[in-house]
Amino acid sequence: MTTINTARPVTRPVGAWRDQLPTLIRVYGIILTLVLLVAVVGIGNPAFLSGQNIFNMLSQWAPAGIMAVGMTFVILTGGFDLSVASGYSLCAVVAAYVGQSYPPSIAFAAAIAVGLLFGLANGLLVAVVRINPFITTVGSGFVINGVALVMTKNAAFLVDDPDFGTLGAGRWHGIPYSGMLLIVFLLVFGFILARTVYGEAIYSVGGNYEASRLSGIRVRTVVASTYVLLGGCIGLAGSIIASQLSSAQANLDPGIIFDVLTIVVVGGTSLSGGVGAMWRTVVGLGIIATISNGFVLLDVSPYYQSIIKGAIIVAALALDGGLTRLVRAK
Amino acid sequence: MVESPIGSKRVSESTLAIRVRNVSKSFPGVQALRKVSFVLETGEVHGLVGANGAGKSTFIRMLSGASTPDTGDIEVQGRPISFEDPRAQRNNGIAAIYQELTIIPEMSAVSNVFLGEVPSRWFVVDRSGMEKRFRELAQWMGLKIEPQTIARTLSVANQQMLEIMRAVHAEHDVIIMDEPTAPLGPFERSRLYELIGRLKENNVSIIFISHDLDEVLRLCDRVSVMRDGQLIETRPSASWSKDTLVKAMLGDVQIVPGRKRERTEVKELLRVRNLSLPGKVAGISFELGEGEVLGIAGLVGAGRTEVLRCVAGLEPLSEGSMAIGGQDVPWPPSVGAAIARGIALAPEDRKREGLVLSRSAISNLLLADIGSVARGPFVSPSARRATATMLARQIGFNPDRLDTDALHLSGGNQQKLVIGKWLHRRPRVLLLDEPTRGIDLGAKQEIFQTIRSLSDQGMGVILVSSDLEEVVEHADRVLVMARGKQIATLDGHEASVERILNLIFAVENRPAMAS
Repeated sequence: MTTINTARPVTRPVGAWRDQLPTLIRVYGIILTLVLLVAVVGIGNPAFLSGQNIFNMLSQWAPAGIMAVGMTFVILTGGFDLSVASGYSLCAVVAAYVGQSYPPSIAFAAAIAVGLLFGLANGLLVAVVRINPFITTVGSGFVINGVALVMTKNAAFLVDDPDFGTLGAGRWHGIPYSGMLLIVFLLVFGFILARTVYGEAIYSVGGNYEASRLSGIRVRTVVASTYVLLGGCIGLAGSIIASQLSSAQANLDPGIIFDVLTIVVVGGTSLSGGVGAMWRTVVGLGIIATISNGFVLLDVSPYYQSIIKGAIIVAALALDGGLTRLVRAK
Repeated sequence: MVESPIGSKRVSESTLAIRVRNVSKSFPGVQALRKVSFVLETGEVHGLVGANGAGKSTFIRMLSGASTPDTGDIEVQGRPISFEDPRAQRNNGIAAIYQELTIIPEMSAVSNVFLGEVPSRWFVVDRSGMEKRFRELAQWMGLKIEPQTIARTLSVANQQMLEIMRAVHAEHDVIIMDEPTAPLGPFERSRLYELIGRLKENNVSIIFISHDLDEVLRLCDRVSVMRDGQLIETRPSASWSKDTLVKAMLGDVQIVPGRKRERTEVKELLRVRNLSLPGKVAGISFELGEGEVLGIAGLVGAGRTEVLRCVAGLEPLSEGSMAIGGQDVPWPPSVGAAIARGIALAPEDRKREGLVLSRSAISNLLLADIGSVARGPFVSPSARRATATMLARQIGFNPDRLDTDALHLSGGNQQKLVIGKWLHRRPRVLLLDEPTRGIDLGAKQEIFQTIRSLSDQGMGVILVSSDLEEVVEHADRVLVMARGKQIATLDGHEASVERILNLIFAVENRPAMAS
């Protein structure tokens, strides 16, 4: 047997900080954005960093954050779900409807079951029937929204049971249950993504569907499962908001889809699939929550809020590509 | 002879098409080019060879203006080159045909040729003018392509021709071709050689990059060798030989010699009878013994890839009968079924079908068997790394590069991963589709080394390669295919490149060639 000495390009010792900088910025630049935002808002109004305020933010962002966890999985496989807002309203409506006559636990379980069900429908359509996820979920979004309208006749369902409010508004030593759920979801599903066979399959399928299929990975199951997971997250998020409001109606918050997508994408998870991580969703959530809360605390005129919010989001994404190129060009 | 459509302006004042002086370029962590000096004469076909990672790609990107050198200068026809934008580069008069073609699949052939400079009258596209010019160019190049053909439906060879046509139309003085013959079959190759000769007659200078050294020596006037970012030497082709080129390219790599085993009684691993895939292949039968390497030879499009895909369970429409270790088993309906029987495929298209480019080498090595490094559903990071390191050693992949994304690896290293990802599952039969396409000699030898040691351990290997010498050299038996049919199965000692070609051409009966 012979040994072979293949020629390789000469490598300079890697360690010079300048060589590492582009990579560091690409990977961690988004954290810098979050730190800057927190510093600006925190200096502008020290109340921002108070425990009270942080707990309130956790509770307020729990529904969108929990849905962003599921959305991270879907986007990592190269998928997309635009039916989130409709599903969110429907699940809230189901929770409130069932909560009117049954104990809260049954109401929330029903909402989650409904979420899993339409998640499964989306998943099967995308993964098995192979319809483009964009179109599939626009269509299913209409259907889901229609079901909510039929159920409510566009009226609000009110729940009198005081226990119904515990999930969304209850607190333990000042810490909201909903916020705890959010943190648990981020940790558990972050771990699943980073350290399990299933997580590895998510990245592989999103990175290259065909190569994964040819390597024996059950690609359709993996893709479909992410929509089911997102459906479950939507069910829980709908339960939380219904509980917080003690009521629900169709068209509860049509704009929440943009919050959810922005949280995932601003963090740096790629819409083309295969690249991203749960910590990025945490950072994205931090950025969006800080901006929104900052407007209130710094007393920004509502007329300017969406301009500033949009500009910060675009800037955060530009940091990803633009700054990297700038540093590389020297 | 058709009159040249590229005019008579090609009488240049300067005899030097390109002069490169002391060009260096570094990327973070890598010195890609070191003080390269190079001269391209007018009307010369200049070969450029070197191992993967030697700096060829960086060098030609620089010549085409796509990348700026750190130091040194480049002159084209005596004028310094402009590095501004693609539009300015066009004025440099240099066209580059990369391996990844820049054809837009959904547009017509004619639109692809006039991409970026559509002729117009009063802002209205001059369609008839475009088509007239297209036909003129096609005739001169010896192509039979209708202008309105959608590019996607053309063969790779013809798509490549469209790119060359783009350069001819723009009357570029220099055309750089980066491994143009890698995806081509013999007929398409000779058509390209002919075209290169014609361009040369018209004083177009050509830089020709290829891993096929015989081809380079035959076609080129002079050959330059690159290694480790340096231009080692430039000499007229006549004073190079294949051996001296290899030596210059690699320093001191040893070649894995071929092995010819006498056909002894071996234990049968796989038996396939009457494999067919409607419209593609029919009536293929063969058996594969333990530790045996079966080569499949044939032209591009003869159905070689399809045979592998059918056996690997990728073609639900395929039919046939299969026995594994003497036991009849149902024909594999899916990839999973084939894997369960111990049949694994390393597909030809590494990037599209073989690897997850956005993931690290580790992830790719464990792509097919991540469960083996997990306790229940939880992946053990240490077991994962240990297994990947073990696999890397087995395939000659540098374990220090395990954390590199597959995207940033050379073709040779990517190919090692495509093979390596199966090894932990210990398949009984490994199907290799063009495992050496577009990779350098050093990496090729490592791949053959791997094939050798796997077959020594009893694995059966089916090897498909367009390089007939490779097939003859490394296969114990050769199945020869033409037009979707099996035309012969040769034992190792009776297989030769000449014999195989004769068999193939007797069937292919010289298909209509563009004149």
